Amino acid sequence: MKAPARIAWLALPAGAVLAFVYVYPMLDLGRMSFNRTGPTGAMVPDWSLAIWRELLADPFTLELTWNSIVLSAVATTGALLLAYPLALFLFRTDSRWRGLIAAIAITPMLVNGVARVFGWLAILGDRGLVNSILLSAGLVDQPVRLVYNWTGVAIGLTESLMPYMILALMAGFGRLDRTLEEAAASLGAPPWRRFMRVTLPLSLPAIVLGWLLCFVLAMSAYITPKLLGGGRVFLLATEIFELAVTNVNWPMAAALALYTLILLLLFLAAYGALARRAA
Amino acid sequence: MEQSLAARDHCGQRPLKQPSLALMAHLVLTGLTKRYGQTVAVASLDLAVERGESVALLGPSGCGKTTTLRMLAGLIAPDAGRVTVADQDLTQVPTHKRDMGYVFQSYALFPHLDVAANVAFGLAERGIARSERDRRAREALALVRLAGFEGRRPRELSGGQQQRVALARALVLRPQVLLLDESLSNLDARLRESMRHEIREIQRNLAITTLFVTHDQTEALTMCDRIAVMNRGRIEQIGTAREIYDTPATRFVAGFVGRINTIPLARDATGLNAGGIAIRAHGVPDGPVDLFLRPQLVALAARSEPAGDANRLEGVAARTVFVGDRSEVLVDTAAGRLVVELAPGAPAPADGAEIALLWAPETGRVFAREDA
Repeated sequence: MKAPARIAWLALPAGAVLAFVYVYPMLDLGRMSFNRTGPTGAMVPDWSLAIWRELLADPFTLELTWNSIVLSAVATTGALLLAYPLALFLFRTDSRWRGLIAAIAITPMLVNGVARVFGWLAILGDRGLVNSILLSAGLVDQPVRLVYNWTGVAIGLTESLMPYMILALMAGFGRLDRTLEEAAASLGAPPWRRFMRVTLPLSLPAIVLGWLLCFVLAMSAYITPKLLGGGRVFLLATEIFELAVTNVNWPMAAALALYTLILLLLFLAAYGALARRAA
Repeated sequence: MEQSLAARDHCGQRPLKQPSLALMAHLVLTGLTKRYGQTVAVASLDLAVERGESVALLGPSGCGKTTTLRMLAGLIAPDAGRVTVADQDLTQVPTHKRDMGYVFQSYALFPHLDVAANVAFGLAERGIARSERDRRAREALALVRLAGFEGRRPRELSGGQQQRVALARALVLRPQVLLLDESLSNLDARLRESMRHEIREIQRNLAITTLFVTHDQTEALTMCDRIAVMNRGRIEQIGTAREIYDTPATRFVAGFVGRINTIPLARDATGLNAGGIAIRAHGVPDGPVDLFLRPQLVALAARSEPAGDANRLEGVAARTVFVGDRSEVLVDTAAGRLVVELAPGAPAPADGAEIALLWAPETGRVFAREDA
């Protein structure tokens, strides 16, 4: 699909904005990662690979990468499992509550991330809702640690991804057609088999779309891991902030930011290759 | 298939007794009713279809014919009534246990599966081994003249080919009943015609009990043993194509099936008249009535020709239209403009020629006028 040259100028406004707010800062970030940090901690302009060498040689970088990928995969998959039934229901219901339910499912997006985290603290904290119930029911003697650790971050991140997952799934369900399930029924397939043989395969594009989108969002999430992690959860996004703001090591922060970007691009390229193979 | 053929022979061995339809019939609908809010989509519908018979549900859109078919397949639940096949009540049985083939208007082929897998879909549900599935799918595809298309995707096929895959997918299971929902309406005219004959032939060869929903009367007339004409959720008339065409039971059937002239009649002291000309007709109901007259049952004649026992209406030939396989003459009369089919070989009257129309009193059908 080639756009005729005549309409290429339609891309001009967006192109100009992107060049200004995205391309230029990225180039600047790239340039910064080749600088050095002086003995006083100040940035010294240079063309050296010292920062990159230090970053890639540090085992902590690998740990951060692993942490980020595992957490993002877990939270994204959790969001997918929770969102899929709801999105499927919303996609095909003609209930008059559809609009309302869709709005409720998506409103978390409108709530400030910090406010949402405090909501989770109230629910998951040592004296929060969940622990009160568990303690009063006598199921546990000590409060269960559900925040300021990986569990808390995974729960919070999963919840924050759900609205995006629901929207992505509903957008990707295009090929799902009720008639196909009716056809499967007429051919003798009971409900569960209809789901496995027709609905699920046909919603695969939606699942992949939603998973990729939310995985990228999870990899770059900062507020939720920062606040629910209580300083015990180390990820690429939190570390970039630490390097830039606390350590004031701008070249290193720039290099780690680019490293994260390249990682995500590799993921998308791998997906693209897989998708082409499948098609 | 051998099974259903044998069963048919068995039925055929009892021609001496006049069998009650309900006893003989393979597929029976009793009092089938569906309401949507205040609207009655299907109103207490009764229908009996014999084993191996092909019946068309013919009617305008919104007459409830598709709703009837979907209730039959169990895709929607009736509000009242029963569906039985071979004396088994299926009303509460879910679709996947009904053993009915359904060919959807949109074909509903699975886009993620190739043609062979589409056809073998139902065989897999019945736990048939892979090699046997492949063999039967190939057979079914050969039956619809699509051998060699096994590896194609549905989107790589033309409409007619997709239609035939959908048919093969239903037939490969050898269902008790085959349901076709406007299955030809998405095809172009030429293809539709050849598919009509193809499906009819397959249906006959397999002797499969078939219900065919259509709004196209040619389809109903050519593809089915009997036609049930539906209107507003009811069956207005059921019979062979001939019966429906020659002796329509209701005003709606007369107007819906085939081309027909509608002539408003008036009453005076001596009887009926059309535009002041006295008309004789049979089976005239009370109240205001209209005469329904097929174009080919009216003769064109010179004004001088004696009418004899026939009805006679004078008119002026307005125009002769050649419709391909015949010519039609539009004639302006005191009772309005009528369409008359020109007898084969007869010369067309000149435009503006003064002529007379003749028809026997028993050829027309008279029905009460509807409140407009």
